[in-house]
Amino acid sequence: MAQTSSFKQLSDFSWEIPQAYKPGMNVPAKIYATRKLLEAMDSGVIEQVTNVACLPGIVRQAYAMADAHWGYGFPIGGVAAFDLEKGVISPGGIGFDINCGMRLIRTNLTYSEVKPKIKELVDLIFKLVPAGVGVKGFLRVSEPQFDEIMKYGVKWCAENGQAWEDDPAHVEEGGYIKGADPSKVSRQARTRGIGQLGTLGSGNHYLEIQVVDPARHFDPQLARHFGIVQEDQVLVMVHCGSRGFGHQIGSDYLRVFDGAMKRYGIQVKDRELACAPFTSKEGKDYYGAMVCAANMAFTNRQIIVQRVREAFSKTFHREAEALDMHLIYDVCHNVAKVERHAYDGTNADVLVHRKGATRSFGPGHPDIPAPYRDIGQPVIIGGSMETGSYLLVGTQKAMAETFGSTAHGSGRTMSRTAAKREVRGAELQRKMLDRGIYVKAATMDGLAEEAGMAYKDISEVVETMDKAGISKKVVALRPVGNIKG
Amino acid sequence: MTFRYLPDVALADVAFEAEATSLGGLFESCALAVTDIMVDPATLRATVGRDIALESDDADRLLYDFLTELIIAKDVDSLLFRDYSVEVASDGRSLRAKARGESIDRERHSLRNDVKAVTMHMFGIRHEGDRWRATIVLDI
Repeated sequence: MAQTSSFKQLSDFSWEIPQAYKPGMNVPAKIYATRKLLEAMDSGVIEQVTNVACLPGIVRQAYAMADAHWGYGFPIGGVAAFDLEKGVISPGGIGFDINCGMRLIRTNLTYSEVKPKIKELVDLIFKLVPAGVGVKGFLRVSEPQFDEIMKYGVKWCAENGQAWEDDPAHVEEGGYIKGADPSKVSRQARTRGIGQLGTLGSGNHYLEIQVVDPARHFDPQLARHFGIVQEDQVLVMVHCGSRGFGHQIGSDYLRVFDGAMKRYGIQVKDRELACAPFTSKEGKDYYGAMVCAANMAFTNRQIIVQRVREAFSKTFHREAEALDMHLIYDVCHNVAKVERHAYDGTNADVLVHRKGATRSFGPGHPDIPAPYRDIGQPVIIGGSMETGSYLLVGTQKAMAETFGSTAHGSGRTMSRTAAKREVRGAELQRKMLDRGIYVKAATMDGLAEEAGMAYKDISEVVETMDKAGISKKVVALRPVGNIKG
Repeated sequence: MTFRYLPDVALADVAFEAEATSLGGLFESCALAVTDIMVDPATLRATVGRDIALESDDADRLLYDFLTELIIAKDVDSLLFRDYSVEVASDGRSLRAKARGESIDRERHSLRNDVKAVTMHMFGIRHEGDRWRATIVLDI
């Protein structure tokens, strides 16, 4: 539990930890939380967000969102922006699973149509989207093709029959981040990644069939912009990232940065905060490699969605196009990107690290695809597999306060071991079925570890971000089918 | 050779402490823990052998690289191992190891968590009396 007596309360939903809190802080830290969430937050978050505030070149504030919990180096649910000249880039500020993210597609089916076929549908998706330990994807690509994927992500997919025409525009950054440099990716990372396209992975990753929750349909007008037009409409959410590829790049550069920090005279308060100046060779190399992983992750989610479209088409005997299975949006929640932001009286490019945090660009931003530009960027927040998820939109307040960022999910409160002690996988599977959620899991142990009770209450996180004004609720989605890696 | 899980160290991941009476034994204990996290070892057979030779800057880094090799073998070659014999040079900077196991079989193997990376959190080898110990946190 966090000691909060020296914090300055800014509102019912935000708190400032002053620079004087810890020697070496270059900026204050800011936490978005209700008093209840703040008091329940593990003390590691406070330690870590104030460590981040000590990093060279950080601008304005270090942020922890309402879902913040302990991570390696940076807290998960953390945001930090750095001056491009004086600042650093840190793998710990991005996370091992580079561009872990969320993707939401819609259908024109209602739950009453899907319910009788949910088992058939989920079982087929489970076959088409490999999940679990050491799985390989069905898409085989050559080394030169993999290089193209690293550079062009979903654009490559669109040019190679793996995406619909309007898919790339509905992915953050248009489906690929510029600046990828495949020559900075190790041989080990390549060999790990090349066979993993179209795989879900394990841990907290999932693929979920969801239904619009009529009781929590907060803004039907906004929802219409996303093609969500009816109560009980079925959507599909995918949560995964760059698999072993991103992890290997993270591991490779953690090692590089360990040595580089000595050369650049950088001292950090935690080994996992290893970093290098963004302008240094090591910093540039990591950025080029990290972008490769981010683009691989966009591609991975794209390939998965192609398989999901195929499964729906086979199950409902209609073309996926006829089922209106368009991509609503795809957001990163583990990434660092150069973005232009107005802060402290300037308007400048900064390197925004988001680790377990979602971009939340407000209405009018040129990076939002045209159909959504007037309403704000879709923000997809995944809950635990039992509690459901949310679709929100970005706000101007997020642009003004958090470098256009908000929370990403719920965050664990119980260890994997403890969760397994509390509940058995088979029992959980049966209980979820009783509640109308059909789950197919690669392992029963893995299922037990992801039980809803092991996570924070997603609704309170979402409510906090909504009331704080850095994202706006559109609709809640409840799970009816789940594939667990 | 032995290991025990540390459930309160990393909520979202898996941490363990391993110990042995020799440095090579410690590496073997750590490898067995990594196996145990990924699969029930009782369901694995030892039909495939792999020789691993590594050099590194120091013993800590050598252990990090050795465990990373096991993760890569799982991702690239779909191999899981159950028996390990590891000899670490007296300066702690190189090793020769033999790992025995088999290709992943989803029907027969009781699979658990997909280990993705060794983290540097709390990472380190300690020599305490006649015991070698290491704390490892794996990203899941």
